[in-house]
Amino acid sequence: MPDTAGILRLESLQVHFPIQGGLFDRVLGRSVGAMRAVDGIDLNVGRGEIVALVGESGSGKTTVGRVITKLAKPTGGRMLFEGRDMRSVEGFSALRPYRRRVQMIFQDAYQALNPRHTVFDIVAEPLQSLRLVGNATQLADRVSEALAAAGLNPPGDFFARFPHELSGGQRQRVVIAGALAVRPELIVADEPVSMLDVSIRAQILQVLVDLRDRHNMALLFITHDLPLAWLIADRIAVLYLGKLVEIGSADEITFNPRHPYTVALRNATPQIGGNAGRAELPALQGEVPSAARVPKGCRFHPRCPLAFDRCKAEEPPAIEVGPQHLSACWLAK
Amino acid sequence: MSDNIVRYCPRGRARAIKGFLRQFLSYGGAQVGLVCLVFFLVVGAVPNILAGPLQTAINATGDFLAPPSGEHLLGTDEIGRDVLNLVLHGARISLTIALLATVISLVVGTTIGTTAGYYGGRVDVWLMRLTDFFFVMPSFVLALVITPVVLEVMGRGGEILGFRPSLFVIIVVIGMTSWSFVARIVRSQTLSLKERPFIDRARVAGSSNFGIMVRHILPNLVPQIAANGALVVASAIYVETSLSFLGLGDPLQPSWGTLLSLAQRAGAASAGAWWYLGAPGLCVLTVSLSFVLIGSALDDTFNPRRRVIP
Repeated sequence: MPDTAGILRLESLQVHFPIQGGLFDRVLGRSVGAMRAVDGIDLNVGRGEIVALVGESGSGKTTVGRVITKLAKPTGGRMLFEGRDMRSVEGFSALRPYRRRVQMIFQDAYQALNPRHTVFDIVAEPLQSLRLVGNATQLADRVSEALAAAGLNPPGDFFARFPHELSGGQRQRVVIAGALAVRPELIVADEPVSMLDVSIRAQILQVLVDLRDRHNMALLFITHDLPLAWLIADRIAVLYLGKLVEIGSADEITFNPRHPYTVALRNATPQIGGNAGRAELPALQGEVPSAARVPKGCRFHPRCPLAFDRCKAEEPPAIEVGPQHLSACWLAK
Repeated sequence: MSDNIVRYCPRGRARAIKGFLRQFLSYGGAQVGLVCLVFFLVVGAVPNILAGPLQTAINATGDFLAPPSGEHLLGTDEIGRDVLNLVLHGARISLTIALLATVISLVVGTTIGTTAGYYGGRVDVWLMRLTDFFFVMPSFVLALVITPVVLEVMGRGGEILGFRPSLFVIIVVIGMTSWSFVARIVRSQTLSLKERPFIDRARVAGSSNFGIMVRHILPNLVPQIAANGALVVASAIYVETSLSFLGLGDPLQPSWGTLLSLAQRAGAASAGAWWYLGAPGLCVLTVSLSFVLIGSALDDTFNPRRRVIP
């Protein structure tokens, strides 16, 4: 019996992109390998829960979001939505019921809005495509409702505007309104505030939290910003090179991190007054390795200040270090 | 709230169109092109009112190859017909052929280009090989070969919409031989458009592939299609003129090309009858130039990076 409490469950989800080899490799039938963008993730999102997926660029966090919204195809594992594996569901009409319940907020509001559509067209599109409204009156009501919920008031003033006539914050609100309009049960928000001014971020986050509180909507919040994740999320999952290295409640991850990567991420956050008293570990060196050449053993060991021999040979499993707190580090015990 | 859509949405579009027109009309080329074009469109629409019915050898009134005079503003041809009368009636034929051929060319080119670019893979490969075939094939030579064959098969009798069927053969042939360049441009633009995040958003919003192509990709292709469409018209006029000049036109419905052909055969050049060759030639030149001017002004308007900053 699958977990019925959760709305979405990822089980060893895997997304490998084949690397296109040269003509030589193809003639010889040689396999060049794969980009292991997502390399076995287990994640559970409960109803009305806000889960933050935190990671550096290249960690595969956006790919996870794209898999959940059926924009990318997983190559392994399962993706259960209310116990039903959605991996095999393909085609826009078969996906319609799923799309009514799972929506996405895109990162780049400048790019995510068709420059030739008005705000009304943009917000109305999912309602029309997903056949959620019967007539023009209903459509206008739902669009107004969504715009108001996203904080664009009065909604009627925005109907005829084009995206280029809006400010960055307003554009992001339009993107949010488009996702809200269908009243989904799960929203995947891919860095919804990273392109915005700090002053506008708080307002947008408030909109998202309000939605959860009012409609019991689940949110998968994808970000690279650990403090932001702590601010909004109930639970935080830390992703490194396609694998979860630590998962737990927001407070646990932020104040009691048990994985050296999480610690490094936390220390990397600049703070007013300096990092005094926080430098338990030296700052991270180098870049995230390419997902095409994932290191052997623990994938974090080349950059880990605490790495020892075992880390180079064996990949640590997720070890329970506290209630609902898992860390994939040999030192976590 | 429902009347809000009615009230607001057209206003947003109207505002966008108004801004576009203001920008477009600020180009000198666009003004010259539009004036010429409107002039010829009016002439082509009502030649009977302006110059009377099309003259033939039977109802011709003038002398043979008379130079321009008060009675015959553009002189007469070798059988005494008024050249002004012929040119005005020719405008109707030439413009009809050019515009309809362009419509065919744009519809076929856009459909094939969008489909190939959007679906990619095997569809793209096959459609593009087909496009390449038409692309490398000199369209004029192809038209030259196809036209007489089709004319022979279809016959020259009968009438469609007041035009003779041979006209439609020429329209279809020009249309079918000039779409490849439109398809190439549309495909390349589609390739870049389909990677834009708003296409992902449309997919998450539950749009079908067809819906995405029509509602998201097509409106963003309008600039390219419009700007290149104007150029297609210009080249269609040339191809039509050339085909008619080589004798593939319909002598009973003379286009400018047919007139040029008749003039050449009547020895207008050696006889010094400059009006007979010059009038249709100048018309062809003016109309195709005005389309090129409009096309380049459209291109400048749609492409803000190419706009001259005042």
